[in-house]
Amino acid sequence: MISFFSYQNSHKKLHSPLPSSTCSHDECKNLNVTHPCQRKGANCRFSLSLLTKNTSDVTSFHQCRLLHTTLSRRGLEEFFDDPKNWGEEKVKSGASWTCQQLRNKSNEDLHKLWYVLLKERNMLLTLEQEAKRQRLPMPSPERLEKVVDSMDALDKVVQEREDALRLLQTGQEKPRPGAWRRDIFGRIIWHKFKQWPIPWYLNKRYNRKRFFAMPYVERFVRLRIEKQARIKARKISLAQKKEKFLQKKFPHLSEAQKSSAA
Amino acid sequence: YPLYQLGNPQLRVFRTNFFIQLVRPGTAQPEDTVQFRIPMEMTRVDLKNYLERIYSVPVAAVRTRVQHGSSRRRDHRNVRIKQPDYKVAYVQLAHGQTFTFPDLFPKGKQSGGRPTDEDLRDQVLEEQRQRQSPDPRLGGVPGWFGL
Repeated sequence: MISFFSYQNSHKKLHSPLPSSTCSHDECKNLNVTHPCQRKGANCRFSLSLLTKNTSDVTSFHQCRLLHTTLSRRGLEEFFDDPKNWGEEKVKSGASWTCQQLRNKSNEDLHKLWYVLLKERNMLLTLEQEAKRQRLPMPSPERLEKVVDSMDALDKVVQEREDALRLLQTGQEKPRPGAWRRDIFGRIIWHKFKQWPIPWYLNKRYNRKRFFAMPYVERFVRLRIEKQARIKARKISLAQKKEKFLQKKFPHLSEAQKSSAA
Repeated sequence: YPLYQLGNPQLRVFRTNFFIQLVRPGTAQPEDTVQFRIPMEMTRVDLKNYLERIYSVPVAAVRTRVQHGSSRRRDHRNVRIKQPDYKVAYVQLAHGQTFTFPDLFPKGKQSGGRPTDEDLRDQVLEEQRQRQSPDPRLGGVPGWFGL
């Protein structure tokens, strides 16, 4: 069983009005995160303006949960686009997030953005499935690609931050422990460790794996080395042949480059 | 997933990798039932938590089944093509709420912009008739008379 942490925000659509509200801390209690509103004091209106990446989506959102009148219908409506866009052939959307833009954001912002993008992706996936069902073209399918790219970039940025933190705190390069070992075929592989509740010498399955190669395997290791050497030699000779061909065809260019560099 | 032993704290995921889609039910479902397609690794408890925390949808019950993707299709080389398997979840909403799958492709908007297939077909037939019709100067008289 996995419990999901998410920011409790209102994914406000452009057409809905902005009601004045006080922060309801009931939702905040569900999260094990100190709500910024508590720090701020009485006034709970706290808007974060993220870069406008999707013009169809909301640009700024509020950390405090605005007053809910309807219950689940509002929740399930988030699986669908703005009703004005239903039946349209094209829906405008901005560019995807780049890695550099995401690196400028704080961890909390990235956490919230992940869920905004997650909801958008779910919405686009439902739209895609419905379009397939109705045998009609999906309006502007490039939105899905943009959201997927943004999520991958976000994941990459978070991994970078985690790597840096781990290197500074513990000195470990990889999050999952492993070791270089020779497998039964004579290859040197990075064996990733698995979590077990028992020590390795009591583990029947692990002990059946052999991390050593018998002497008769040396012949095949040599053949593999020869194969790799041949591939490498072919690649180098191909590059040399191409260079020679170009030199012959455009003799003036190579000398000109050398003289201009000098 | 990391190993779980009795007494361990509950596994918490901070950025989920699960993406779900709401689908239109093929057979008629009760009004409070919503049908989802979820990844194979997700359980009904996971889905309940997902909907309650991220979408704030009160969930009463979830039932899941695995749908086998067809492996019958074959391409031009007679190699079998596999459609991916997926898990279907039937979610019953709490507090007596109902949900009907909306019509995401209403017809009204499309006809105004682009001519429909029927209009194009009528246009093409009319053009053909005009080309095949005889010279109007004859006035209905067959053409094999002189002049």
